[in-house]
Amino acid sequence: MQAGGLPDTNQVSTDPLRNEVPVTALAEASVDAPTRAHALLRKAEPYLYLLPALLLVGGLLLYSVAHTFAISFTDWDLITPPRFAGLQNYIDAIRDPTFTRSFSNTLIWTGGSLLLPVAGGLLLAVVLERIPGQRVLKTLIYLPAILSTTVVAAIWSYVYTNNGVLNETLRWVGLDALARPWLVFAPTNTLAMIVAASWRALGPSMVLFLVGLQTIPPELIEAAKIDGAGERILFWRIKLPLLRPITAIVVIMSVIGSFMTFDLVWVMTQGGPGRSSETLAVTMYRQAFIMWRMGYAGAVAVILSSIVIAFSIFYLRATLKRSAL
Amino acid sequence: MIERWSIRQRALERYLVLALLCLFTTAWVTPLAIVALSSMKTPREQSQSAILALPENAAMILDNIASASELAGIGNGLLSSLLYAFVGSVTAVIAASSAAYSIAMLKIRFPFFWFLIIYSGTIFPFQMYLMPLFGMYQEVGLYDTRIGMLLFYSAIAVPFCIFVFRNYFIGLQGEVIEAASLDGASSFQTYMRIVLPMAKPAALFLFVTQFSWIWNDFLFGQVLAKSDDVRPVMTSLAMLSGTYGKGSIPQQMAGALTASIPTLILFFALQKHFMQGIILNTAGE
Repeated sequence: MQAGGLPDTNQVSTDPLRNEVPVTALAEASVDAPTRAHALLRKAEPYLYLLPALLLVGGLLLYSVAHTFAISFTDWDLITPPRFAGLQNYIDAIRDPTFTRSFSNTLIWTGGSLLLPVAGGLLLAVVLERIPGQRVLKTLIYLPAILSTTVVAAIWSYVYTNNGVLNETLRWVGLDALARPWLVFAPTNTLAMIVAASWRALGPSMVLFLVGLQTIPPELIEAAKIDGAGERILFWRIKLPLLRPITAIVVIMSVIGSFMTFDLVWVMTQGGPGRSSETLAVTMYRQAFIMWRMGYAGAVAVILSSIVIAFSIFYLRATLKRSAL
Repeated sequence: MIERWSIRQRALERYLVLALLCLFTTAWVTPLAIVALSSMKTPREQSQSAILALPENAAMILDNIASASELAGIGNGLLSSLLYAFVGSVTAVIAASSAAYSIAMLKIRFPFFWFLIIYSGTIFPFQMYLMPLFGMYQEVGLYDTRIGMLLFYSAIAVPFCIFVFRNYFIGLQGEVIEAASLDGASSFQTYMRIVLPMAKPAALFLFVTQFSWIWNDFLFGQVLAKSDDVRPVMTSLAMLSGTYGKGSIPQQMAGALTASIPTLILFFALQKHFMQGIILNTAGE
C-alpha cells in the first residue's frame, strides 16, 4: 500500500535509491570510527526529512493539545500556579446555565448549517446541473466562499444593524413591521448569523454536489427516463442514493464546522448581548482570555474536541479509504 | 398535440428556472456591490443616501482606507499578512514535502505511524491550541512577534500539506525510483532534482490554499499578537467591525474590500486550483 511498509533489516539491500549501500557494508567490515559514524548518519538520513514537520507540528500543535488536556483538570488564572482540581471544571461546566445555552446554540448552528448550506447546496446543484451558463452562475455563487469569515462578519453586521441593509430594504418594500434589531434578541441573533455563515458556506457544498452529480453515469439517467421516471423520481431514487458518499462527507464537514463556529460570532456579537449568542468555541475563548479561567476553558475545549473528533473519525475513515486506493 | 404542448411547457419551465436562478444569483452577490458602493461614500453620505445609490466621489475610498488604517492599523496588517501568508505557506510546503518524501519513498520504520502523527494536527479544534500557545509564547518571548506568528502559521499548514503530498508521492513512486536509479543520485539529490519538480502541481495548489487560509485567519492573530506592527489584517479588520467595532460603515467596508483583494486576485488567477482545492480538501484524492 505505501512505500517502505516493511522495515529494512538487510543492510546490503538492493534499494536503488541508495546506490551507495555497498559502501556502507564495506565501512562496517573495517572497524573505522569516522566511517561508522558516517554509516549511522546514512541510516538516520531518511528521518532527517521528517524533522522540520515533526518539530513544527509536535512542538506547537500536539504539545498544546496535551497541555490543554492537562489544564482542564486544574484551577489556573495564569498568574498563580495551577492547582489540581480533578473533574471540578467539567462538573462546573455541566451545571453552568451559560454553558448549557452555549451548547444549545451550537446545536442550532449544526441544524442550521445542515439545512441551509447542505440541503440548499444540494438543491442548487441539482437545478444548476442542467442549466446553460452554469459556469458563470456557479462562480458567482461560490464567490463569497473566498472571503475571510471576518470580512463576511463585517458585511453582515452592516446588513443587520438598525439602519442597515436589511431593515432599510424591508421599509422600502413596505414591510416595516418586519424590520427589527436582528442581532439583539435570542434566538433571532443566532439564526441571523447562521444565514450570514451560509452565504459563505453554500458555494463549496454546491460545487461538491455538482462534482458528485458528474460521476453519475448518464446512461443510468437515460434508462430511467425511458422507463418514464419524472424529475422527482430521478432525484429521490437515483441521484440522491448515488450521491451518498459525497453527501456523507459534506454533512460531516458541516457538522464539524458548526461545532467550531467562532470567528463570525466573535466579530458580530462577541457572543452577546448578555452571552445569548455564545457558541462553545466562543465560551471557551471568553473563559480563557476575558475571564482568565484557564481550567474551565480547558474543560470546554476538551468537551468540544471530543465531539469534533468523534465526527472526524467518520470523516478520516471516508477520506483515508479513498486515498489508500 | 399533447406531445408538442408538453415540449413547449418543458421549455417554458426551463426558462422560468433559469430566470429564478439569475434572480437568486443577483441577490446573492448584491452584498458585494453594497460593500464596494459604501466604501466610496462619506459617513454622512452613507447614512443619508439610498443603499444602492452611486457614490458622489469614488476617490473617497482612499480617504476611508487611510482613516481605517489610522484607527486599526489596516495598512500594517496588510503587510504583515502578506509576509505570514507567503513565508508561512512556503515553509509548510517545504517541510511537508520533505516529510512526505521520507514517508512515501525512503526506507523508514513505521511510515504510516509518522504520517498519522503529523496528519493528526488537522483533527483538533483550534480551541485546543490557544491557551498553551499563548502561555508558551509569553514565556519564551515569541508573543506579539513576527517570527512567532510565522512559526505558528507554518505549523498549522503542515498537516494538510503532508496529506496531499503523501498521496501524490505514492502515485509517483515507480517513475521516481526508476529515474533516480538511472541517475545514481543520492536521496537528497533525488528529492531536489526529481521529486520536487514533479510535485509542482501539488505544491502550487497547496501554496494557494494555505496562503488564503493564513491570509483569512482571525483567531490566532487575536490570541498571539496585539501591536499594530504584528497583528494580521483580519484581526485589525475585526477591531473596526461588528457590534463592538469602532469604525464607521464606510471605513469598515473599505477595510473589508482592501483585505479581500489579494485572495480575490488569487481566486480569479487560479480559479481551477481553488475549485480543485475544495474537492481535494474533502474528497482527499
